[in-house]
Amino acid sequence: MKRIYSISGLLLLFTFFSTVVLAQNATVKGKVTDAKTGEALIGVTVAVKGTSTGAQTDVNGAYTVNAPSNATLQVSYIGYTTQEVAVAGQTSIDFKLQSSTNELQGVVVVGYGTQRKVDVTGSIATVKGADVAKQASQNAVSGLQGKVAGVQIVNNGTPGSTPDITIRGLGTIYGNTKPLFVVDGVWYDDINFLNPQDIESFSVLKDASSTAIYGIRAANGVVLISTKRGAKGKPVINYNGFAGVQAVTNQVKMANATQYATAVNELAALNNGAAVFADPASYGTGTDWYKQILRKAFITNHQASISGGTDKYTYNYSFGYLNQDGIVKTNNFQRYTVHLSNDFKISKALKLGYTASGLSDKSRDVSGDIFHQLYGAAPTLPVRKADGSYGDPNDYGTGDGNNYNPQATLDFYNQRTKNKRVTYNVYGEVTFLKNFKFKSSFGGDVSQNEIRSYTPEYQATVKQFSNKTNLSLTHTDVRNWIWENTLSYEVKLNDHRITALLGYSALENVTRQINGQADNVPYAAKGNLQTSFPDDANVTYLATPGDQIRNRALSQFGRVNYSYKDKYLLNASIRRDGASQFFGANTYGYFPSVGAGWVITNEDFMKDQKVFSNLKLRGSWGKVGNSVVPINPTVQVIATDPYLTAIFGNPQVAYPGASINSIVPPSIVWEKTVSSDFGIEGGLFDNKLTFEADYYNRETQDAIFAIPVAGSLGTSNSALIGNQASIQNRGFEFLVGWKDQASNKFSYSISANLGINTNKVLNVITGKNPIYQGGDGIANGALATRTVVGEPIGQFYGYKVVGVFQTADQVSKSAQIGAKPGDFIYQDTNNDKIVDSRDRVALGSPLPKYSYGVNTSFTYKNFDLALDFQGVADVSVYNANVAYRFGNENFTQDFYNNRWHGEGTSNTYPSVNVGKTTNAAPNSFYVESGSYLRLRNAQLGYVLPRSLLNTWKISRVRLFANAQNALNIFGYKGFSPEIGGGVGSRGIDANVYPLYATYNFGVNVTF
Amino acid sequence: MNNKKYTFMRKASVLGLIASTILIQSCKKDFLNTAPAQNTAATQFFKTPEDAGKAVNAMYANLHEWNNIAFAPIAIESMGSDDVEKGSSASDATFFNDYHNFTITAGDGQLGGFWTGQYQTINFANQILANVPGITMDEALKNRYLAEAKFIRAYEYFRLVRAFGDVPLRLTIPKDASEYNLPHTPKEQVWAQIEKDLTEAAAVLPQSYGSADIGRITKGAALTMHAKVAMYLKKWNDVLSYTNTVMGMGYSLFPNYEQMFRTTNKNNQESIFEIQNNVIPNNPSASNSQYSQVQGVRGSTGGGWGFNVPSPELAAAYATGDPRRDATIIFRGETTPEGDKIPLEGDNPMYNQKSYVPFGLYVSGFNEGAQQNKIVLRYADVLLMNAEANNELGNSAAALGPLEQVRARARAGNAGVLPAVITTDQGTLRTAIYNERRFEFAMEFERYFDVIRQGRGAEVFGPRGWKAGKNEVWPIPQTEIDISGGTLTQNPGY
Repeated sequence: MKRIYSISGLLLLFTFFSTVVLAQNATVKGKVTDAKTGEALIGVTVAVKGTSTGAQTDVNGAYTVNAPSNATLQVSYIGYTTQEVAVAGQTSIDFKLQSSTNELQGVVVVGYGTQRKVDVTGSIATVKGADVAKQASQNAVSGLQGKVAGVQIVNNGTPGSTPDITIRGLGTIYGNTKPLFVVDGVWYDDINFLNPQDIESFSVLKDASSTAIYGIRAANGVVLISTKRGAKGKPVINYNGFAGVQAVTNQVKMANATQYATAVNELAALNNGAAVFADPASYGTGTDWYKQILRKAFITNHQASISGGTDKYTYNYSFGYLNQDGIVKTNNFQRYTVHLSNDFKISKALKLGYTASGLSDKSRDVSGDIFHQLYGAAPTLPVRKADGSYGDPNDYGTGDGNNYNPQATLDFYNQRTKNKRVTYNVYGEVTFLKNFKFKSSFGGDVSQNEIRSYTPEYQATVKQFSNKTNLSLTHTDVRNWIWENTLSYEVKLNDHRITALLGYSALENVTRQINGQADNVPYAAKGNLQTSFPDDANVTYLATPGDQIRNRALSQFGRVNYSYKDKYLLNASIRRDGASQFFGANTYGYFPSVGAGWVITNEDFMKDQKVFSNLKLRGSWGKVGNSVVPINPTVQVIATDPYLTAIFGNPQVAYPGASINSIVPPSIVWEKTVSSDFGIEGGLFDNKLTFEADYYNRETQDAIFAIPVAGSLGTSNSALIGNQASIQNRGFEFLVGWKDQASNKFSYSISANLGINTNKVLNVITGKNPIYQGGDGIANGALATRTVVGEPIGQFYGYKVVGVFQTADQVSKSAQIGAKPGDFIYQDTNNDKIVDSRDRVALGSPLPKYSYGVNTSFTYKNFDLALDFQGVADVSVYNANVAYRFGNENFTQDFYNNRWHGEGTSNTYPSVNVGKTTNAAPNSFYVESGSYLRLRNAQLGYVLPRSLLNTWKISRVRLFANAQNALNIFGYKGFSPEIGGGVGSRGIDANVYPLYATYNFGVNVTF
Repeated sequence: MNNKKYTFMRKASVLGLIASTILIQSCKKDFLNTAPAQNTAATQFFKTPEDAGKAVNAMYANLHEWNNIAFAPIAIESMGSDDVEKGSSASDATFFNDYHNFTITAGDGQLGGFWTGQYQTINFANQILANVPGITMDEALKNRYLAEAKFIRAYEYFRLVRAFGDVPLRLTIPKDASEYNLPHTPKEQVWAQIEKDLTEAAAVLPQSYGSADIGRITKGAALTMHAKVAMYLKKWNDVLSYTNTVMGMGYSLFPNYEQMFRTTNKNNQESIFEIQNNVIPNNPSASNSQYSQVQGVRGSTGGGWGFNVPSPELAAAYATGDPRRDATIIFRGETTPEGDKIPLEGDNPMYNQKSYVPFGLYVSGFNEGAQQNKIVLRYADVLLMNAEANNELGNSAAALGPLEQVRARARAGNAGVLPAVITTDQGTLRTAIYNERRFEFAMEFERYFDVIRQGRGAEVFGPRGWKAGKNEVWPIPQTEIDISGGTLTQNPGY
């Protein structure tokens, strides 16, 4: 205690003297450049050490600072090693900064603060915003694909859509399996609203000791995002823009008209029907519907920003515009983003600031059914007849399975979606009693989504028509807020460094949705789609109870970090959360964590070795919760659905009904995830080679989800929610990086990451009885997945195909009496001479065992090249499209060429009667490998020589060409092996957006 | 000055933040209570007479839901019959062929659809029977509601026991999870419960309703249903007694057989129980009957999907000149009395005319033919049940009167066709009555289970693969067996 006193006394004295000595000031000028490239560095801080005086370099790297002749100048810049030079009477000092190889000096964004990387005991991966922003993909989550070990992202191609993201395996069955996103301290379920160019950095918190401070929502990991803020200095203006084209890759080839007609006739014959097409050959190749409906789609993106500041305030303002055509004709997405941030230093002790993001987007949508229609559409059908009217499938009598003309579907589908969203955060930070800091932050999300769909009066074909107009409007309002208050204490006493944090937080999420419908609304060119219903319209409004959400949470949390001599690290946190989803004694959950680390390289015995520049062992344990469960899951509600309307009387009149048709669990408790993590990380040869390896074991306890219940209960969805299982995700993560400045012209870096995860259900309330799910798009509603103890969640389950029946004789001797030649022969697993549901076997898991990424970058003189590869392995997908048939849908060329069509033609592919119940039953034929390797992003850039720019007064111009998804290697016979889907139906491909590549050219300009 | 201001600001902000923190803390108890507004929690339901009425509405509404009126009933209650074929295009929904050819396996979705569809209605009935007795309300109305629920429950169990044999008999709301997984109840007990419910319903229900309540269950419906149940159980004395009672209640045959099935003649004098359907503006969910749509004429705007079509055997079986043939079957190329031209080049030579709704009534955004009521019980059935019971009890002469009433109406004044049946030989007359039922109720989902009940399954359906000892019932849905974890077992032979 005494000692503390004397130290602070000394400090005071020192400050006093340094002020007094500040007598003879002189102006020092100079230039700061990159030691290797010689390029001017902009915005470098040149400070007079020990004072608050300083300056920043301008666009030419020049600075001017007033400094006493005996002072020391300290020059620091992110990514470079800080340099100090004594002024010693000089008036001109140039600095050549070395890019910093020692990443350990870096700072990592952690929950409610930052931490020196050396102090981190958990598993945290950081990704620079620039690495994501450079990609063509305009969704920030999508850009993370392949960048972080253990983070799996499944893209969905629809412009403006959100990809699926899971961290360290699937640990939640019900509801949100995504991590929590925290953007500048505000919580979000998704970050669609963020323009990737506005992001400074990502921190992906993977282990429970890092995430436990977000206990309530941390069960599936946390992604912290810091957006760009201004830095002291002259205004820096940036422009980034690109334009390009998106084109379908790995297109599945469908049967042509002649082949289709042949197949349809075969199918009719197999069903004892007459031939549908008299002369298949007369149809030639027919219509290529994919070619007709898909296109090479244009994409353009512009972003401009200005940032700068003074000692008192800094600012960063940006504006972005994206215009993306979908690969389906007429599909378009436009997005405007605004990002504003300001920080004010009111005084030494008080800082205030805000961030505000505005988003406005609008899209012209296409029917969600269009891809399935394209897959099934008859190539015999002309787009238009000779007289200009639509080709009508009805003319060919091919039935209702594909009784549509996709062009008509596209032409008469008129839906627009608009989003307006403002997200904001305001904070105040008070520093007091030297070591204390109090921060209060209030943030939120105000958004409004509107979907307008107009059906005109039309008749395109016999089946595609409407004899009245209809306008439907769905309006969703979101009002979320979160208020967080933290008190932190930081002190360094000789060899001891302590940081402590106490916090208090409250939040509310409110969503309201209403849907309005009116018939006979006349079409006014713009009017109906932009304004409300006409005054005289007879509008019916429906507000479905499930779409009205209101939940709240209250939390307290605390954390202590301790490090001794930067060698031994300890870290502990606890959070207490109350969530409105839970009741009574179950309202609150407690989420503790501990972590420890040992920095071996800081030990004395390591001092003399030259190999390791860094070596650290770390371990952590923690328990976190998941409050993303249905609203009031234990409250049984009255069913008032509109279909419960009785009709009585003469004349008949509607009588709305209501009743109870659900069952709810008596109580529900928090879903918890307990996980431990052991890691080793290190750097060799001056950190040219870095590595990181982690083992983790993550166990979800009391997992909440719905299990099917007996249909004889008569409930509307035959499911009961509850805490019903434990799930384990266990695995390893590896990260290896190499970077080198080979010469002053050439530098490069290569980094590879690998995640290995095994998902297993440890126990489930149904005991040994599996939970069957995954009927999506499977003909006849058969269920293709099961969840059972000892196996991964939602593994594919069905019959094992061992061949195809060739003759009637073979059928009669088999265990499948009802079968016909051309049908699948299923394995009689239990050998009871009857093939039935007891013969089903596990067929594969939709959850990848391996996911990996390889990211490289090369710089040679003014050129730079980045190649990012990414992939998954040991994973299965279910190709439901093959048998998702109701009639005469088209077949793929592959299926047509390989189909059974008579004795001896195939023993692997069935006849065209693949859609019949027994053939369409989930079986091994439909389960394929979903492994893929992809050149996720390739970018070649060129920085214009400075000599050229100086005359234009521009500091930097970089031109680039970029290709995303240009190369995809996979064996899957569908469009894309990247298939998301809800838990239990994951990996089932029934209506997937085709894979496309984006090629674009762009420019980055800094003024 | 500046310094002072700053100190003040700092103090104020710190105090403000702390104060507000305390503020949240103090209202914490209420803060975390976001339970749904009182009026949406189920515990607040079944309090008022209006709640009782709404619960009864919901029960009736479920009768025209997809699984109760469309594909599943076609599969379970019609497709096995010799009167129908799958229809539509040859390769569309081929699972119907598996019902027609008795090759169906327990995994087919229609089995589960039929199962859950009926049980959902049963739940709505059980909700009423469990909760309405406790509501303070007009006793007469309360008793009527309960009687309506008993009828509906009996009707749905009748459909289940006929389709599956032994089924779980759920008569109460489960208290907790221990009551979720019910085993089979022997079918004899299920039939007994059906009879009990119908007896109790008939004792309370009114003979008729005012115009606003037409479509609700009447005493006549309960007695007719009971007669039908008794017929399936071969309790001929009961059949006779119930039908005799109904025959004294003022029902009569609608003079025009063909027009009886048009939407303009809903709930006519012959009607005993019809599922009430219509197009409710701006509410497609309430107008959800796809009964007519799935059977409608293919290839015509306002038609339908063309499933469950008349078979050539049916068309060939009618007596020469029987006007019912033309009233039951729409032939390709014909023009209907309502003026609709049926395209000559369609997939199917014939369609069901009893579910037909003239194309001009079609309203976009709704299912084709959503207006069509489904007739479940009509007076002709009472007459033929009465005839059958008399004949089975040895009063063959007494059977001739009601039989002739039905034939006379069918004859429509044309004395040259459908001569009166005059035989009193029990066996010959039995065949005549069986035949009369076939043609009178063709395409009305009666034939398949009628033939099985008559013990003629192997004789009539055998050529298509029907086997005695197995095909009297369909397989229990595999999903139900899976979910029950073995509490439910499969029917023999499947």
